[in-house]
Amino acid sequence: MSPSALSGEAAVGPEGPRQKSRATIDTLGVGCIAMVEKNGQARRAEILSIKDTKSGRQFYCNFDNFNKRLDEWVPAKRIDFDQDVEWPNPDKDKQKDSKGKNTTVSKKKVPPSKAQKRPSKREQSVASETVTPHPWPEVSDTQPPSKAPSTPRDLDLKSTGTPTVGGDEMDVDDDDQAPEVKKEMEFSREAEIEKLRTGGSMTQNPTELARIRNISKVQFGQFDLFPWYFSPYPESFTQEDVIFICEFCLSYYGDKKSFTRHRQKCSLQHPPGNEIYRDDYVSFFEIDGRRQRTWCRNLCLLSKMFLDHKTLYYDVDPFLFYVMTQKTEKGHHLVGYFSKEKESADGYNVACILTLPQYQRKGFGRLLIQFSYELSKVEGKLGSPEKPLSDLGLLSYRQYWSENIIDLLLELNDRDEKSSIESISSALAMTTQDVEHTLQALKMQVYHKGEHKLVIPESMILQREKAKMKKKRYISPENIQWKPPVFTASTRTWGW
Amino acid sequence: MTTRKVRYKKLNIKTPLPVLREHQIDANEYESLTTESQIVTGVEQAEENEYHLQAALKGVGASVDNEIPVPPPQKSVEADYGELYPTPYVEPRNYIKSSDTVEETLKGSLYDMTTDDDDFLRSYNSKRPANAHLSEDNFERIMEVFEDTAAESAPYAEVDNTFVPFELMSPAINHHIREKPVHGHVKAIYEYWRSRRQTTGNKSLHPSLKFETHQEHDDMDPYVCFRRREVRQTRKTRARDVQVADKLKKLRKELEDGRQLVIFAHRREILKRELLKTDKLVYEQRAKLKEAKIKLNIKGDDDDLINTKPQKRPKPEPQQPPRAVSHNQIRLAVRPDGGRSMEPVELTLLRDKQAERQLELLNNIELKVQEHRRWNSNYIDLTADPLPPVKEEQEQNFRPAKTTYLMTPPASASDSMEMDETPAAPEKSVTPFIFQATSLEDSDQEEMPSFRRRVGRLGRLFIDRRPGKLSTGLSSPTRELSSLQSDRWKYDDDDDDDEPPVYKVDTNSLRQMKFRSTIPPPASLLRRPGLDITQLQAANRPVIPPSQAALMQAAQAQAQAKAQALAAQTQGTQAPLVQAAITQQPSTVHPP
Repeated sequence: MSPSALSGEAAVGPEGPRQKSRATIDTLGVGCIAMVEKNGQARRAEILSIKDTKSGRQFYCNFDNFNKRLDEWVPAKRIDFDQDVEWPNPDKDKQKDSKGKNTTVSKKKVPPSKAQKRPSKREQSVASETVTPHPWPEVSDTQPPSKAPSTPRDLDLKSTGTPTVGGDEMDVDDDDQAPEVKKEMEFSREAEIEKLRTGGSMTQNPTELARIRNISKVQFGQFDLFPWYFSPYPESFTQEDVIFICEFCLSYYGDKKSFTRHRQKCSLQHPPGNEIYRDDYVSFFEIDGRRQRTWCRNLCLLSKMFLDHKTLYYDVDPFLFYVMTQKTEKGHHLVGYFSKEKESADGYNVACILTLPQYQRKGFGRLLIQFSYELSKVEGKLGSPEKPLSDLGLLSYRQYWSENIIDLLLELNDRDEKSSIESISSALAMTTQDVEHTLQALKMQVYHKGEHKLVIPESMILQREKAKMKKKRYISPENIQWKPPVFTASTRTWGW
Repeated sequence: MTTRKVRYKKLNIKTPLPVLREHQIDANEYESLTTESQIVTGVEQAEENEYHLQAALKGVGASVDNEIPVPPPQKSVEADYGELYPTPYVEPRNYIKSSDTVEETLKGSLYDMTTDDDDFLRSYNSKRPANAHLSEDNFERIMEVFEDTAAESAPYAEVDNTFVPFELMSPAINHHIREKPVHGHVKAIYEYWRSRRQTTGNKSLHPSLKFETHQEHDDMDPYVCFRRREVRQTRKTRARDVQVADKLKKLRKELEDGRQLVIFAHRREILKRELLKTDKLVYEQRAKLKEAKIKLNIKGDDDDLINTKPQKRPKPEPQQPPRAVSHNQIRLAVRPDGGRSMEPVELTLLRDKQAERQLELLNNIELKVQEHRRWNSNYIDLTADPLPPVKEEQEQNFRPAKTTYLMTPPASASDSMEMDETPAAPEKSVTPFIFQATSLEDSDQEEMPSFRRRVGRLGRLFIDRRPGKLSTGLSSPTRELSSLQSDRWKYDDDDDDDEPPVYKVDTNSLRQMKFRSTIPPPASLLRRPGLDITQLQAANRPVIPPSQAALMQAAQAQAQAKAQALAAQTQGTQAPLVQAAITQQPSTVHPP
């Protein structure tokens, strides 16, 4: 797409010009952007948290244009202190971080009219890099924010006032008119230091908390998993080096003895629901979130560690969970699952979908996706996954979509038949939007000699042929023993 | 991007589009035609530009597989997997159906002891003799009771720091743990439990998720999860108001109907009680009257001592133990108690009628089929669903023919057995021809149960049993022979004692005749079996020509006479048995 993306456009941290200067290990605080070594390369990284360990101070870094799952705790030696550090802009940070972070979507999707008034994000950051304006040089020189080491670190602690989404847009606009801001900023800065002195709270802003991975290692069945994202397991688990999750009931334990005791008592050997699909490779179970509340909650907590945009805000009642397992002589092992709303207002056939890390890159994701569409076919509905997709989700879906569409089109081409978007969509139980987007992404939909045509590129044909040689596994629809569950109006309204 | 030279029509999703391969279109043109447009990805905008995603998306067209790096999982090194998951799994043949929750599948207490608990328990046990050790299971049970009781009686312990006193705990322990030896440990464990609660700020000992407690500060807390969903507000419209009003009216009406029902039932029961009282009074008065009559030596005119005809109706009711149930319920309640031996008359009649109707129907169908066959006689019907079914098809369903031979009882020997194994079973829908084919002229064989085997889902084998044409309950003599049942009838009706009860018996049926012929225990009881039976049968058999009433009667008389004579002959040994048989006979079968 845009080349700037690949070259690393600044996306980390709050927008707008920032102060820049050198820092030391002690002055570097939360919200600063420094150059941090990652895979042998120096990258811009925002510091989200700081902790002192026996081996020295460590910084939790979110790397510019890298997914959050690659965030990590970095020892000081990997930070390049010879380069300037961008200091958090206290005024903006206060507003952005306390209000904006968890509502990133709404914030970044600023209405188009705004874009005309002030420079777009891209232009802004480019400007900040080239011109390097120092609007408040005296602040950074005479009073570096490093007097008290805790100051910068706790700058975005204070969730001053309750956040009102959208209410700050006016302020943001005002900020661009420099002179007034200055006073305001200095004022708030003093107030903040004052508050710090009196309040002395060391806890972090709750929304910041959710940006930081809280579980370091999970023992699950035969595997040690390294979580990617935050998951709201009991807070005491944050202190554990490793937590234990029972492979069958998915219960979680911070204490090894508790876990072994639990294993002696747990008698589950498969997900607690009805098996609706079985072949020699995998099985699928259907589980009602209402009936199996504990199990489904456990599953959500587990999957939250690997899904960034999953929300556990609400309970699991309105969802069905379709769980894919592989069986061994120990039982049915959880491979992946997708959840599905019992009644989706937007016609989604998948809410969350996940293949556990130890099973990734083995084609299980495609099986899950195929199964979700097979269910939609049984229901006689068109389906689409709930948005936003994750990066991995997008790739998996794109692959599934393009494979199926190309196979279908090749068949049609052989028979010299025409096809409309709609007929493709109904044949594959995909929504017409998804069909169109896939066609566009593959550059297959062209306008030629006054009419729209679908053209299959040679490269795709070759790729398909190569893929077919690989003997992939598919779901056999005839093995599905499933009727779409029916929920009455009272179930939906009252939950019974 | 460059501005487009051609303005093209918007693509309608319903328009059929030609599908071409790349080489089927001019290469140069194709290159220029492909659009470099921004495609909706569905990924969060902030993440769309992520380096690895972009690299991977670029790679889709090319053959390079750009993977997005993720923190890799590892095989656990220290985990003793086999020890933690020791149970081998046996896969059931059918798809698994299960609805047990996690809690239900746990075998044991919900409390899992921690490392601290383990340390405590070890040191606790080390101070005691080996036979007074507290097991881990029992420790967990005690702790579970403490935790549960605490959560129940002091739900806000965390806030107000109250500790449930031991006095409150012990009844709970007594209730949940029956084993006496365990109780000795409770006090010590309580102290330990208390100290652990104290160190953890009086929270529940198991680490638990954070649930919503206070809307305002919960909202921001990422640890608070699984909130209840707000009840969906339904929009208020006039139509909805009407609907709701209707529902309320209906509900009100239903409740009112229920209330009326209860009132009426109450009234009926009161009336019943009155009736019983009057009955009792009448009885007592009669008793007095009887005494007086005896005293005064008045004879005759005893009509006032018994109920006269019009009182017949209410009579049977008070015989029932007075219960506060409606008529219907009484009747339903009787049936299971009475068992199948007390077959109500209506039921058999209904079945008779049904069988009759079915037979008629089948005959009718058969007739039609015959007609059709005749009409088609020289043709082969190859239409979709031919009326004269293809031969093979018939054979497939054919089952009973063979079994009938196997099951045919030798002569009249095992009648009772046959009756036992044919309880009322639902009629299987069998094609009429087959039914006709199996039913033989002999009425006895018609009663044979027939079977068929069929293969159900997943290759399960079924044996379907058709009880055959059931004989009516009363006409089956074996049943009436059972002493239990004859007893039951004995005291059952008192209203028409002037005339003997009439049982409708098909005297012409082969069964009846056979039965009657066996009533006097024949020579088999007197002399050596084998030879004599044949002799006796030789004597009896020719007398039973089917469906000849007069002859049959004669045969019966003859048989009886013979039997009596035989009985008289051998009074010594077999007399009681014979007599039982003879005396029972008139009480059960009354010849009209």
